[in-house]
Amino acid sequence: MTTEPADSSRRSASLGRKVTEDLLYLGYQALALEAGVRMLARSDELDSALVEFRIDVRSTVIARAMRQLPGGRGDQCFPGPLSPGPSLAFGATPLEFLRHAARRGTSPAATRSGGLTWTDYRRGLLGWGGPRGVMTQVLAGAAFAFRQRGEDRAALVFEECSAVETGAWHEGINLAGALGAPLIVVLDEGSRGCDTHATDVYEVARSYGIPFTMVADESHHDLFRAVALARRRAVDGGGPVLIELKTRLGADRWAGHNDFAAWAVRDGGLSRSDRSAIAKAAAAGVEHAVDRIGKEPGPDPRDALAPVRTGCEPGQPWTRQEPRHPQATVAAMVEGAHVR
Amino acid sequence: MSAELPEHVARTRAGKPATVLEAISEALWEEMERDDTVFLMGEDIGAYGGAFKVTRGFLERFGPSRVVDTPIAEGGFTGAAAGAAHMGLRPVVEMQFMDFISPAYDVLTNYIATSLYRGSGPLPLVVRGPVGGGNRAGPFHSQNVEMAFFHTPGLKIVYPSNPRDAKGLLKSAIRDDNPVIFEEHKGLYRAPFCREVLPPDDYVIPLGRARTALEGEHLTIVTYGLMVHRSLEAAAELARDGIRAEVIDLRTLLPLDEDAIAASVTKTGKLLIVHEDTRTGGIAGEIAIRMNERAFEWLDGPILRVTAIDSPVPFSGELEDYFLPSTQDVVTAARYLVEY
Repeated sequence: MTTEPADSSRRSASLGRKVTEDLLYLGYQALALEAGVRMLARSDELDSALVEFRIDVRSTVIARAMRQLPGGRGDQCFPGPLSPGPSLAFGATPLEFLRHAARRGTSPAATRSGGLTWTDYRRGLLGWGGPRGVMTQVLAGAAFAFRQRGEDRAALVFEECSAVETGAWHEGINLAGALGAPLIVVLDEGSRGCDTHATDVYEVARSYGIPFTMVADESHHDLFRAVALARRRAVDGGGPVLIELKTRLGADRWAGHNDFAAWAVRDGGLSRSDRSAIAKAAAAGVEHAVDRIGKEPGPDPRDALAPVRTGCEPGQPWTRQEPRHPQATVAAMVEGAHVR
Repeated sequence: MSAELPEHVARTRAGKPATVLEAISEALWEEMERDDTVFLMGEDIGAYGGAFKVTRGFLERFGPSRVVDTPIAEGGFTGAAAGAAHMGLRPVVEMQFMDFISPAYDVLTNYIATSLYRGSGPLPLVVRGPVGGGNRAGPFHSQNVEMAFFHTPGLKIVYPSNPRDAKGLLKSAIRDDNPVIFEEHKGLYRAPFCREVLPPDDYVIPLGRARTALEGEHLTIVTYGLMVHRSLEAAAELARDGIRAEVIDLRTLLPLDEDAIAASVTKTGKLLIVHEDTRTGGIAGEIAIRMNERAFEWLDGPILRVTAIDSPVPFSGELEDYFLPSTQDVVTAARYLVEY
């Protein structure tokens, strides 16, 4: 593993109580949401493909190592298609994620028609569900804006590693490097077919002069520290950093209940009751979301198909307006009107 | 202050006539001075001043963080411009030639145009650059690109015909909260017949409103860009025979000012549409069907069009002259229509 941004001398420091509480909450939330989504998929409330749904807690730790601030003043994250870990770390609720997955779209934050494009700048979320690689371009631009204004902010992109097979991704990472944009790019060697090997990604990073880190079996502690350090380096003018998240699909879970218990004691000095309270709160939010999602209505087209540009009215097919008759047009002509 | 300005952005302050190119430079300069969120991206726009020298002197005045030379990757830097726009900047992207907007087609149509609909908020972004034939530059430096984007909800398309409009419309486009494609005909950039003293005030011309370039009564000619001048030449020739043509300069193609077209058609009863773009799928087809829907009862003849031939733009001068619509083509079509 190559970890240029990492600094082993700083690894011994504790992550502290607040960070540990957050990581535990996110970890428990991820496990509960994973179970909830699978249950909903089995009962046809969600796409049946989600019966094998998993959340890689490492993605949550990586995202939590970025800087979240309210009011859209912190880092910006593209969480990747159906990748709830980063979304949760940036403040999304389980219900919001389920709306996203179920295409409900009953609130502005869930976008008008749901789907994979959920965006909320205030919490640092910038979504999209289109071709791979494009969001590396977009977040490179967001990161450029931070750098241009001299802000202590960075951008984070989660992409499946198949993004490396696209020209769009290469254009984005090259531009980020050329502009010195504070961009952290995480390539998730994930759930889809992928021909790209880790060594290839390393070579790609090296060819662009970009530091590279592969995450495989690091402790949550080392992972958090490495990403935080990479972020600091990027914000301080070091430019983008590329992280490859080595897949654990089909392998043992990277972190579960026993690991969370160890984190609680070692890094946060948390008691067993503290940990239980966090687990309970996380699970309650997921239970509420799972219970609620099936009761929510689908989007109303009169609202959802609102203007596509600012300042214009939504279009209504004329066949769905007041019935037209040729004689009405002739009458209007006699009256001198020229607009139907 | 004006003594420090590059000569091509100080024409109006000096009370001198400006070309279309100088008007565009003035608009960019003034908007960058007015609003520090406005910045430029493009190939060779900094040290080199742009292929047509629109941005000559900008780097020295505004610095590299606001005049950003990019790699030759239109998709990449257009995507990055979107990210910067999300974060509160107002990017103006220059395509060295609009023919090369095609690599950015994906991000423009899939990502940028859908931003507001997807809940990602307004996306203030201008993509501008030279279009049009007549310069013996062949198929890759002569195209008109409006109809590649006309079909995409969420975009605006602007195509000025003179210096005053170019400056006022570009200022409006930069201040608009929607993505705008701004086409500049190369044949108008430095055309001697197309210089004028511009208003000294900070004027803007609203997007989406056509202008009547010439009032008439016997037929309506709807056109835009360089073809406004061809149509006015034709109108002058027709006037010698007592035919008074009304010439409507669309200025903005999307949204289309169909009220202005309908108002003219109900007055003249005849409609001729002239565009330099190729015939099939050109804007003439859309205008014709809209007038069929809105003003059928007022039409006293078929709706006709004069356009380029359905062919790539030829290199050969003889072939290109044959390919492009001429003043005489407009005269011929107008006479046919008036006599119908």
